[in-house]
Amino acid sequence: MTRRGREDRPAPAATRRGRTGLGMLVLGLGLGLAGAAAAGRLARSRKHADIHDASLRRTRDGAAILGASVLMDSAMEHFRGGYENRVMYLGPTMAAASVAASLSEPRLHPGGSAARVAHGACLVTGIVGTGFHLWNITRRPGGLSWNNLFYAAPIGAPGALSIAGLLGLATEAMAVRQEDRRTTGRALAALSGLSLLGESAEVALLHFRGAFHNPAMYLPITVPPLAGIVLVALAVRPHAGGQRVTRLLLRIVGGLGVLGTAFHVYGVSRNMGGWSNWRQNALAGPPTPAPISFTGLGLAGLAALDLLDNARDRA
Amino acid sequence: MTPDVGLASHGAEEAPRATAGRAPDVFSREGWVPMREHCRDEAVDFVIVGAGCGGSVLATKLAEAGHSVVLFDAGPFWRPLSDFASDEREQEKLYWLDERISGGDDPIEFGANNSGRGVGGSTTHFQMVSLRFRPEWFKSRSALGYAVDWPVDWKEMWHYYAEAERAMSISGPISYPWGPKRGRYPYRAHEVNEAGLVLARGAEALGVDWAPTPLATVSAPHGKSPPCVYRGMCKIGCSTNAKQSMLVTYIPRALAAGAEIRDLAMVGHIETGPDGRATGVEYHRDGGWHFQKARNVVVSAYSIETPRLLLNSACGRYPHGLANGNGQVGRHLMVHANHAVWAEFDREIRWYKGPPSMACCEHWNYDDDDPSRDFHGGYSFMSQGPLPSDFAGTLVGSTGAFGMDLRERMARYNRMAGLKIVGETMPQAENRVTLSDETDAFGLPRASVSFSYCDNDRRLYEHSQRFMTRMLEAAGGGNFLESASTAHLMGGCRMGHSPEDSVTDADGRSWEISNLWICDGSLMPTAGGVNPALTIVANAARIGDRMVRLAKRGEV
Amino acid sequence: MSDDFSDPYEGYDVLSKWDTPSFNDQTRRVLAARRTPPARRFFTQEEWRTLQALCDRAIPQPERAEPVPIAPWIDADLHADRGTGTRYATMPAARTAWRQGLAAIDAEALVRFGTPFADLAPERQDAILTAVDDESLADPYAWEGLPARRFLRDTALKTIVSIYYVHPQAMSEIGYGGPASPRGYLRLGGDRLDPWEAPQGHWPEDEDR
Repeated sequence: MTRRGREDRPAPAATRRGRTGLGMLVLGLGLGLAGAAAAGRLARSRKHADIHDASLRRTRDGAAILGASVLMDSAMEHFRGGYENRVMYLGPTMAAASVAASLSEPRLHPGGSAARVAHGACLVTGIVGTGFHLWNITRRPGGLSWNNLFYAAPIGAPGALSIAGLLGLATEAMAVRQEDRRTTGRALAALSGLSLLGESAEVALLHFRGAFHNPAMYLPITVPPLAGIVLVALAVRPHAGGQRVTRLLLRIVGGLGVLGTAFHVYGVSRNMGGWSNWRQNALAGPPTPAPISFTGLGLAGLAALDLLDNARDRA
Repeated sequence: MTPDVGLASHGAEEAPRATAGRAPDVFSREGWVPMREHCRDEAVDFVIVGAGCGGSVLATKLAEAGHSVVLFDAGPFWRPLSDFASDEREQEKLYWLDERISGGDDPIEFGANNSGRGVGGSTTHFQMVSLRFRPEWFKSRSALGYAVDWPVDWKEMWHYYAEAERAMSISGPISYPWGPKRGRYPYRAHEVNEAGLVLARGAEALGVDWAPTPLATVSAPHGKSPPCVYRGMCKIGCSTNAKQSMLVTYIPRALAAGAEIRDLAMVGHIETGPDGRATGVEYHRDGGWHFQKARNVVVSAYSIETPRLLLNSACGRYPHGLANGNGQVGRHLMVHANHAVWAEFDREIRWYKGPPSMACCEHWNYDDDDPSRDFHGGYSFMSQGPLPSDFAGTLVGSTGAFGMDLRERMARYNRMAGLKIVGETMPQAENRVTLSDETDAFGLPRASVSFSYCDNDRRLYEHSQRFMTRMLEAAGGGNFLESASTAHLMGGCRMGHSPEDSVTDADGRSWEISNLWICDGSLMPTAGGVNPALTIVANAARIGDRMVRLAKRGEV
Repeated sequence: MSDDFSDPYEGYDVLSKWDTPSFNDQTRRVLAARRTPPARRFFTQEEWRTLQALCDRAIPQPERAEPVPIAPWIDADLHADRGTGTRYATMPAARTAWRQGLAAIDAEALVRFGTPFADLAPERQDAILTAVDDESLADPYAWEGLPARRFLRDTALKTIVSIYYVHPQAMSEIGYGGPASPRGYLRLGGDRLDPWEAPQGHWPEDEDR
């Protein structure tokens, strides 16, 4: 056997290191897109004479925040997974498209638009992604076991992209149907309420994995589900009252998104090496982009309340 | 003594750290915590010799109940964050490297696999596998027909297992496939690394259960412990404090409760008074011999040093050593057979990532009816992740490989996986610790140990190697290599039902001297097929509660 | 047996992580201290030659201009009388065992080939070591009180590999991650590597497939 130089070596069939470069590119483009859209959003007037327009805007902001959370989270998680499968680029890419679509102005007449296509694609991508994640979970030894639910592809994560898409589609529908505010409000309340329940379930699984080592970890599995239940109840019986409590709960949910982000930033710093070991800890520690999704859903819920209130006032 | 060990951190080894009313803060790089100190001339309630799984727990229990306690350890008081390097050779400083003379047909290798030297004992370098005994093992004789019964009921031990698991924040699976139902582990099991998934795939192929191993390293933050970073160097000391060793769990509690710890303090003799009762211990610290008076002496120095100290303390009244009127001290020493099968895979496993044993199988601890079972007792086995120097030692020890052949074999390190047993051996009276004629640097007679497997032990480990080879083959491995070694120590001063065939009663109180106690792994009447640390901690917690109750009744 | 080493991780060097979170201060101190091997203090010049030849045969490093030093650390351990925790009842104490073992290897070489071990061709040195491992000795008297295989495997080879495989160059050649604190590893599955690990290795037979 003779010594071979590096250049004599056959190229490896596939490197198993993470595809760092391309992943970073997708994330960068996505962030750039989101940033540009957000800038455009800020440049526009924030004053909305009509409660319907304001609700519409609020819902789209909520969808954009949710989409941004999914963008960052899926970019990071798929980076951990080394973008082993090309379809893993779809998650962050579609999330970026969702953010852009949500921040653009909705079209006021029915018919195809790029934004509508993007929202619809996000909905589909989330469903397909859930299938992929389920496959990833079940192919490991142990199958659908707690350990795989904890550590394989997160089962609930792609659902957030679907929710962002649904919220986007909802606002497109709202833009077209200006008049029937009660129906719109009820639909939005149901959607945001169920989404809050779904998100809380995902958080419950992950905080259970973290053994609820900090009592604050119970907050996102108590307040948001409560708000979610009340919202769903309102969707079913819009006249039952309780709007004031619901509004308060939703504001807390929105605040929890910010507080949770702060907790997660602190959580990463508690891992060995703290933020200076960010290449490990940003991924091994609590996901910093995740909690803000509650703020997005909270906004959508508030928009639903506004619509319902407005419908009652006008009735 | 081993002056050149630990080139990087002479601080802990050169001079005692726990002095002048303070002890090292193990969660800091150079900080301190306050420590209560006791006068040598005033008798303390308890002197405890050895700060490992037995002594640390007992000191905590007794101090928390308000007793005055001085806890001795022959080794240093480490601060893992600044004293533990990522280096196998440097970290040998955690092992008891002072020589023991090892004889018998199957002489035991001492050091890395079975004894620690330092506050925290061998838990500073244990691999954190925290399994409970099978309930029937506490009645091995009456329920399973071999060895002896423990003088303790399994339900009582079950209670203390739960306490130990809470205290050590064990990260374990939601449902455990073997044994009676147990409560939820305080922390969730870790992600299983590829080496563990090899075991999992093999087990699923052969149709036996497997589980993520319950481990004493946290999967989420706990107090000042960050979650495990999967650096894989558990056996050479955890430098992050994720490992829930005695050093970062019970020791801080003991200090906070008022116990005093004396590190780098080698206890050489237990003194007895004219009434035959223990009066204190003579120990070497800071270059000289000193005497600490005590109302009770507890020996928690593990299966070699506990008998050695009792035998070394022979005097006119007790010519064969303390608590040894019946000649039981040092006898019934047990190890765990630590036989392994290693296999090569056609892809990389990278077993250096994560704790070494992330998946386990207790099938042969619980299956009594399989026709292939030709032995008493049981064995568990775990996936493996030896560090390079450790694995190279296994390679040369079991094959004699050298030269380029050795280097080429080692170059396949990343493609290896292995399974290793913790196999129960039978208690045999002739497997024992005695004193040799040679003395150590303190002038104390060295321990001389004799160990031989019995036929049942051999059948057990041969069975395991056949089974593990099948499992590795089912998982896709080839090019098998078998290796033989031992791990852990149990027995040597066993507790029992009667003064005829044991050294202490169920409370660890020696039959012969009422204020001389033993509390460590040497009490174990049988070895069981699981790593002993958790059992030693649980038993020490039980004994601690018993001693506190006895003291309240004035019976201590 | 070929005398060339086919490095599956050529180009990978754990020391390239020196300034990253994979290394902490105490590890840097340990590895820095290992750069300067201590001077010979325990063995005689004659024993030293045999020991060096033994280390060279146990871990041949023909491809390196500066081989990883092994013998000086054995000498240092014995000079300090650093224990291993174990002394087999059938074996003398470590210092005696090493002196007698090296002398016996040399005696075996002289009886078989009429030349000291250190001056033998590598194949003949291998033959001597194989004979010691098999305990088929031409000069059994030199081994009296020292079980040959136990000395070779448990004393000599184990010590030699325990020194070689903690050296950064040895860690690199087997693709081991090396020092890992405070940063450990993130990707535990077999299909993933952290960016700070060795890239996938290449073995000679991979090319045949």
